Amino acid sequence: MNDALQKIRQETLDRLKEVREEKELEALNVSVLGRNGALTEILRTMGKLDKEQRAKLGQASNAVKKELEEAIGARREKIAELMLERRFEKEALDVTEPGKRKLPAGHLHPMTKTYREIRDALIGMGFTTFGGPEVEYDDYNFTKLNLPLDHPARDMQDTFYINDRVVLRTHTSPCEARALMNLKPPFRLVMPGRVFRVDEVDASHSPVFMQMEGFVVDHDITLADLKGTLDTFVHAVFGEDVRTRFRPSYFPFTEPSAEVDISCSICGGKGCRVCKGTGWIEILGCGVTNPHELENCGLDPREWKAIAFGIGVDRVTSLKYGITDIRLEYENDARFLRQF
Amino acid sequence: MKLPLSWLKDYVEWNVTPAEFVERMMWRGFETADILEEMPGVSGVVVGRINALEKHPNADKLQICSIDVGGEAPLCIVTGATNVFEGALVPVAMDGAKLVGGITIKPTNMRGVESAGMLCSGKELGLTEADYPGAEFNGIMILHEEHPLGQRIQDAVGMNDIIFDIELTPNRADCQSIIGICREAAAALGQKFREPVIRPVAGEGDASDYASVSVKNAELCPRYSARVVTDLVIEPSPKWMQRRLRAVGMRPINNIVDITNYVLVEYGHPMHAFDLACVAEGHIIVRNARENETVVTLDGKERAVTPEMLLIADPEKGVGIAGVMGGENSEITAATKATLFEAAAFKGSNIRATTRKLRHVTDAAARFIKGVEPVNAYLALARAIELVDDLHAGKVIGEAIDVCAADISPRVIDVDYAHVNKILNTDITPEDMVKMLATINIPSEVCGDKLRVDVPHYRTDIESGIEADWDIAEEVGRIYGYDNIPPTLMRGNTFRGRIGDDLKDEDAIKDLLVAQGCCEMYNYNFTGPAALDALRIPEGDEKRLAVKLLNPFGEDQSLMRTTLLAGALDSLARNFSRKTGQTRFFEVGNVHFDNNADLPEERKLLGVAFSGAGEDFFTLKGSLEALLASFNMHERCTFVPGGEECFQPGQKALMLADGEPIGELGAIHPKVQKAWGIPEKVYYAEINVEKLRAHKGGKRTYEPLPRFPKVPRDIAVVVDETVSAAAVKEAIEQAPAAVAIGDVELFDVYRGAGIPAGKKSMAYSFALSASDHTLNDDEIQQAMKCVIEALAARLGAQLRA
Repeated sequence: MNDALQKIRQETLDRLKEVREEKELEALNVSVLGRNGALTEILRTMGKLDKEQRAKLGQASNAVKKELEEAIGARREKIAELMLERRFEKEALDVTEPGKRKLPAGHLHPMTKTYREIRDALIGMGFTTFGGPEVEYDDYNFTKLNLPLDHPARDMQDTFYINDRVVLRTHTSPCEARALMNLKPPFRLVMPGRVFRVDEVDASHSPVFMQMEGFVVDHDITLADLKGTLDTFVHAVFGEDVRTRFRPSYFPFTEPSAEVDISCSICGGKGCRVCKGTGWIEILGCGVTNPHELENCGLDPREWKAIAFGIGVDRVTSLKYGITDIRLEYENDARFLRQF
Repeated sequence: MKLPLSWLKDYVEWNVTPAEFVERMMWRGFETADILEEMPGVSGVVVGRINALEKHPNADKLQICSIDVGGEAPLCIVTGATNVFEGALVPVAMDGAKLVGGITIKPTNMRGVESAGMLCSGKELGLTEADYPGAEFNGIMILHEEHPLGQRIQDAVGMNDIIFDIELTPNRADCQSIIGICREAAAALGQKFREPVIRPVAGEGDASDYASVSVKNAELCPRYSARVVTDLVIEPSPKWMQRRLRAVGMRPINNIVDITNYVLVEYGHPMHAFDLACVAEGHIIVRNARENETVVTLDGKERAVTPEMLLIADPEKGVGIAGVMGGENSEITAATKATLFEAAAFKGSNIRATTRKLRHVTDAAARFIKGVEPVNAYLALARAIELVDDLHAGKVIGEAIDVCAADISPRVIDVDYAHVNKILNTDITPEDMVKMLATINIPSEVCGDKLRVDVPHYRTDIESGIEADWDIAEEVGRIYGYDNIPPTLMRGNTFRGRIGDDLKDEDAIKDLLVAQGCCEMYNYNFTGPAALDALRIPEGDEKRLAVKLLNPFGEDQSLMRTTLLAGALDSLARNFSRKTGQTRFFEVGNVHFDNNADLPEERKLLGVAFSGAGEDFFTLKGSLEALLASFNMHERCTFVPGGEECFQPGQKALMLADGEPIGELGAIHPKVQKAWGIPEKVYYAEINVEKLRAHKGGKRTYEPLPRFPKVPRDIAVVVDETVSAAAVKEAIEQAPAAVAIGDVELFDVYRGAGIPAGKKSMAYSFALSASDHTLNDDEIQQAMKCVIEALAARLGAQLRA
């Protein structure tokens, strides 16, 4: 009896090693452990044995049964694992095939990206957006900003005229006058918008371009604050490694006035074609607001101080992306726009 | 402003390299645009001596020269010139040398003989007879003095000056002169400025015997100074003067004219010289022009002058337009015997107006416009007379005639030095400020809490009024060095920075359209009448109220746009011709309407243009619906047939939000499309951004999720062609069923077999639900019946078999 039992055990274990399919395994399971299975048959014959033998055989057959059940279970898991592997093989993808999209991607204009970047850097420094019209009073564009009629510096910015009182604004600075006359100081404003100058179109000139004016009015604002603010701004937009330099300059609406250069991002300051060998690129004009402007707009320049800066968004965009021809920014060639 | 280094050395001790000078001037607020050479474009040319000459073996007209340029071995150079001889000193262009006109010299084989370089003519070096006698000879330039071999030709001919081309800011009119810029240069170099001293010339006789001046408009002419010189010897000016004039870009003419130009450059003050014999009675009258008066100016042009313009006249006629140009009738000629030198101060704004009206700006006028001052006028006249005397150009008569209404008394201002420090955020002692100002020749002293500053007459940019503190802060700041002021972060009030709602919404619109696959355009704001015609905008339409520019580039850019469409079509056409394959574009931009006596109305528009494969009316509408949905206003928006003439009839719609039109969309009219040469149909929408924003949905609030399942149902009905999708949808939604009907969507429209002509089949899906229980079959059937009945009753719809 015991021999038969051991034979079933050995045979089953041997066959189990060969089993590769789930069906085969279940058939084996039934043929050994099923109601009419080989092991069950043996147990059925046990009744003919004496008590002692019966107990002994019962113990042995239970041990075999348990062992076989476990072995079959393990094999079942193994087969499931194999099946999964086979499925994975079949379902394997060429991951280098292009992804599927419902719509081709759209693109913001690079100037919008630059504008947002500059704006958000300033928002982080407590600035709030403000604006004014593109078609503006001569009074706001010039006179209030310390550029009275026939001031020679009016010729610095060739102006499109609508009539003798109305112009296309030549800079975003008239927003300063509007802010001074309409808002209660102190404030920090960023004022973006299109501006217009009588410049024939070429690689570096456009009659329409975009500026952003920064304007801070407070009691104790100084030239040093202007330097600090612009350093922070430049680092936010161009990166921490970029150096700035403040050169004295002149604008009718600021005094003292400065132009800000940044170290050339193309050559890192060694000198190249973009920076004309100087290692520096001019990015904006700024200064402490001229007292006449504050006075013209109804503020006492001894009580209030202001700083202002005007950033050329086109210029910053060109620098950030290495665009050498400003005309591309107004042609809307999709092959250009898709690069951003 | 051109500053020759040699001229600078008259006033300043030169102790740096040109590059260092440029850098130091930059920190003072003077940018150098360029460093020019006196012999522009010439390099690599040296002095050589012809040691031996022999005939070329293969060419009759060529000679082979053995030339010593001071190197180890003589060079062999082939020349076709016939004026060379053994022992001659000549300019030799070596390998790599550059000559005028951008020519680069390379060794070449000339008929079998290797030529190492080239012998140069004066012309090839850009030299004239005036620069070097013999330079214009037609052949090789022979140097007639001894020079070391190998010396640079620039040094040999004494044309080795360099010229700084300095950009001036408009506030520093005083630096528009050699003397003015040298004052700044001296300070920048840490040197003392050698103040020029003009030697007074005592004239013979009495000036009033020869000339007199009366000024009728002192406001426009605050000072008129003049001096008479007789017994003129008109001849070319000396070489040194001609050289300096040429170095700054002026053409020498004769000694008298050259003197006025020299003084213009040196002192920055325009002068004029009249032929005294041509001034009736020798009497100069400075007056406004009369009606219908004309003056023939030096350039031979007859110019009509108007009563706002200031004339220089004699009792009979105009002899010049004040500050702009002299008259031809009183020009200095070779026959001129006596002259009246004029140095006057004219009001800049008036000169500016005159030049604008005449459409003619001269060098002199440009100076007056930038601003001249009366003290300098007198100095310039004295300097000119000194030069006349130095050059023996004539006999100086009497004293200067000086009509001066201007206040030329010294100007003193009191500056609050604590305020200066406050503006700069510095801590400079007033004593140090005094020292700093002294470096730019501004005397000052400390008086209590003020700095008392003697403003030099030429510093007209430093004001006496409120601006004085800021003016001095600027001077102190740039001398102290902006670089030495440490940056600080703003103190005081704290601010919550924020993006305005208008710009936030603009961001959202742009981001949504980018997500819809659109590229963002930036088009110019200019348009023209022809474009408005091509867009089929009817006469009297609002879009015809375009703002006109007074000074446009041309007719086609003479108006401010009233629609974004023209620019969009320009860009689409460009993209088609360049085959970029992009079909979707948008722009957010302003348009203007000349509908207001004050400022024109400014309106922000969104323009969306689709064109090309796969695009149609409904792809465009779909993207707009996505935009409306993102603004939480889709349910309150409707599209009704209608729209402007630029669209194709039957394929255009008005976009309404809560019943108010906020925009239009449609297929662009084939005629418009053709005018732009666009090969594919264009679908375009234009939306008023402010109106869109006005109807934006408010705060979103949470709605509880349905607890009982919705029952989806489809239905297909046959209706007349004239029945709109919107009407069917409305009929389904409003069917008086006992349960809720929602999610009504059109999913198919069918015309053809099985459907009678003039009819169409429309298939809709929708969902039935109740908020408090799961619907049973009975309820569902009742609801369906109700929907079918409603469709039949309202639209004559029949259930499709």
